[in-house]
Amino acid sequence: MDELKLIELAQGGDKKALTELVKLYEQTVFNFSFKICRNKDRAEHTMQETFLSMVKNLNQFSGQSKLSTWLYRVVSNHCLMLARSEKKYDYSSFEDDDAMIDEKNIADWKITPDKVTENNELKELLDKAIQKLPADYRIVFTLRDVEGLSTEETAKIVGLSVPAAKSRLHRARAFLRNELNKKLQYERP
Amino acid sequence: MNDHKQTTCKDVMTHICDNLGDELNSQKCISIKAHLEKCENCKRYFSSVKTTIEFYKKYNVAISDEAHTRLMECLGLKE
Repeated sequence: MDELKLIELAQGGDKKALTELVKLYEQTVFNFSFKICRNKDRAEHTMQETFLSMVKNLNQFSGQSKLSTWLYRVVSNHCLMLARSEKKYDYSSFEDDDAMIDEKNIADWKITPDKVTENNELKELLDKAIQKLPADYRIVFTLRDVEGLSTEETAKIVGLSVPAAKSRLHRARAFLRNELNKKLQYERP
Repeated sequence: MNDHKQTTCKDVMTHICDNLGDELNSQKCISIKAHLEKCENCKRYFSSVKTTIEFYKKYNVAISDEAHTRLMECLGLKE
């Protein structure tokens, strides 16, 4: 059964259709939540809050955008709210474009992306690097580069203009690359 | 007279971070591509930014059966 039909049935109170919708998206929502929170307990909590919100507000869903886009927005807002309550980032260090590009330390890396699934040390490095990014930079990077949404969709989800979303994406890419470069580059002789 | 400023490595690196994944064919992009062809440093930078993105794409976590069960309970749904 297609997604719109499932939504229509769920809006009419069909629990089976609602269960199917949840099952259709739980992996995507959990994985995306984890990629923002980098913590399985928090990701599970965010996933539960997201689906509770979906169940509560499903009747307002008009079908003009994809349900996945709507769910990404709920997860993003939840994570942003949590991050804002913690207020641990110094944004000024992310606003200097010149300092973001490191021309001097350019070397080949000693590891390839296919190794990530089996390498816990690399996973830890990836977790630590992205946790240093403020949440809104992390969300823009994850939506655009990791989940593969367009820049326009990403900007809409996080409530930014397209140039502002591009600017955060640019800084997030450069920052993460620099963080990983410290550990992954070959030492030059 | 050619009044184009020479494209520097920093220009190229900034451009890579700005536009990776976008299909662009402006004059600026053409000069960036020409620089990238010749500059080993910028090629390495380009490769490391692409690898950074690939790392995060490939790092996925599966929802556990227990988390799935707790979600269904929390929503009051049965299978």
